[in-house]
Amino acid sequence: MKRISPRMRFRMMNPVLQFFKFIILSIKIMVIVAGGHGGTRKVN
Amino acid sequence: MAKIVILGAGISGHVAATHLRRKLSKKHEVVVVSPNSNYQWVPSNIWVGIGRMKSEKIYFPLAPLYKKKGIGYKQAKAISFHPEGDSTEAKPYVLSEYVVGDEKGKQEKITYDYLINSTGPKLNFEATEGLIPGKNKAYSVCTYTHADHAWEGLKAVIEQMKAGKKAKILIGTGHAKSTCQGAAFEYILNVEQELRKHNVRDMAEVTWISNEYQLGDFGMDGMLMSYGSLTMKSHEMIEMIFEDRDIKWILGAGVNKIEDGVAHYENLEGEHKSESYDFAMLIPSFSGHGFKAYDKNDNDITEKLFKGFMLVDADYTSKPYEEWSVRDWPETYQNPSYKNIFAPGIAFAPPHAISKPRKSKNGTDISPAPPRTGMPSGITAKLVADNIIDTIKNGKESSHHKGSLGNMGAACIASAGFGFWKGSGVSITTFPIVPDFKKYPDSHGRHLGKTFGAIGLAGHWLKLMLHYAFIYKAKMRPFWWLIPE
Ligand SMILES: Cc1cc2nc3c(=O)[nH]c(=O)nc-3n(C[C@H](O)[C@H](O)[C@H](O)COP(=O)(O)OP(=O)(O)OC[C@H]3O[C@@H](n4cnc5c(N)ncnc54)[C@H](O)[C@@H]3O)c2cc1C
Repeated sequence: MKRISPRMRFRMMNPVLQFFKFIILSIKIMVIVAGGHGGTRKVN
Repeated sequence: MAKIVILGAGISGHVAATHLRRKLSKKHEVVVVSPNSNYQWVPSNIWVGIGRMKSEKIYFPLAPLYKKKGIGYKQAKAISFHPEGDSTEAKPYVLSEYVVGDEKGKQEKITYDYLINSTGPKLNFEATEGLIPGKNKAYSVCTYTHADHAWEGLKAVIEQMKAGKKAKILIGTGHAKSTCQGAAFEYILNVEQELRKHNVRDMAEVTWISNEYQLGDFGMDGMLMSYGSLTMKSHEMIEMIFEDRDIKWILGAGVNKIEDGVAHYENLEGEHKSESYDFAMLIPSFSGHGFKAYDKNDNDITEKLFKGFMLVDADYTSKPYEEWSVRDWPETYQNPSYKNIFAPGIAFAPPHAISKPRKSKNGTDISPAPPRTGMPSGITAKLVADNIIDTIKNGKESSHHKGSLGNMGAACIASAGFGFWKGSGVSITTFPIVPDFKKYPDSHGRHLGKTFGAIGLAGHWLKLMLHYAFIYKAKMRPFWWLIPE
């Protein structure tokens, strides 16, 4: 069953668009990973 | 001068060893004890299992690196823990047995001041009758040797399809309590794409079998995530992908027996069913290694150190799903009885699952165990190393570095097909890993801005970049420590 439209598929596989997506994703992931971690038990 | 012994050289053990060595002066000893002579970047096993990457590309020998960097290395396996020493050895030690060379079979009491148990999981194939990697047409991709084997099996089935024989492919979890659904998910998408590349997709029926209640649960109770401008449930996203690729699914399935080309399972309805296949890849359940522990008088104190996996600073009080809290999860990975013992990565005993536990109508538990992926394994190992470093440098116990899975993000870049231009990846991030329903009551326990999904070619590039970056880091090449865990 085709659930992904041709337009959406084009966007998913177009190297130029995906290059920008790659940069954005890398930054977003870095923000989450480098964003830190900590405990959960200390009440501020 | 302190001696830190690290058991295991997987993602968590190697991260701990490398950080300790970098930050501690040479008067302190860092020793790694691990039976496998190689470091392996496990996530890339997926590509080994479809023949797109040689296994040599994902591992390298540890001994030369450790020698060069001043890290002691013993190719041995830990057998028992003696945190108080014994009648002849005053210091705490781990009894270990060498696994190769002239010393093979020789046992040694490896003493320590600090012990990091990063032995990961035992791949518990025995828990499912007949589930033996490479037997009964069922394979695994959990190690590079398993993945090599899986590719041989898959290649043979592809050849049969090219010769005109239809085939059934079954991929998922091989036990009612398996975890690591993410790895099986990656593998099914990669296999499906390979079948298309080989022009045999129409000859194959591809089926996902899993102990998850819903698709996209991944042992993390599913996710509510941002997807472009939409907010989507993870099961909707995975359903979309599977339907688009014509992959069928069987859910709530506790596989309990494998025969040649047949997987038997019980479902949540309590029905006993079976599914035939020509090629299967099923993730086994994970368990602790069955280590024993003894006090200085040789009394068995295993329950002080282990509950399957190693006991750490978690709240292990048994409670129903509705009362689970992020606060149950450990923060420092320190054993409560012996403060100089730590267990990061998969080696620590989780307080409970993350996904809602479910039983079949016959009372069989069928639901995923909690996953602990590469990123949290690395982060927890680094924070354990940092606490040990601070303790040594300050001369008093420090547990200042904390990292609960309830206050930590993770990125899971799942490969959905290999190829620089034709490849694809499903990038999913979550924050936090364990949902915090108090903090994020309206978004299924997670921060929506930091919990998102994306599908496309960029995901493949990301996964490939991570492969090279993490192998570079593991080899301790210049400025390796700048690459985050
Ligand atoms: C196929 C697959 C794909 C995956 N893909 C991803 C992914 O894309 N992203 C992600 O984040 N995570 C992924 N994971 C999960 C990730 O690989 C694990 O989270 C990670 O390997 C856990 O690291 P660890 O160091 O705790 O355990 P392990 O990597 O299992 O290391 C355990 C170490 O202990 C050693 N050992 C075992 N027994 C003993 C003993 N008795 N004495 C001493 N040493 C011992 C072993 O030889 C090994 O060196 C994947 C897992 C699999 C199986």
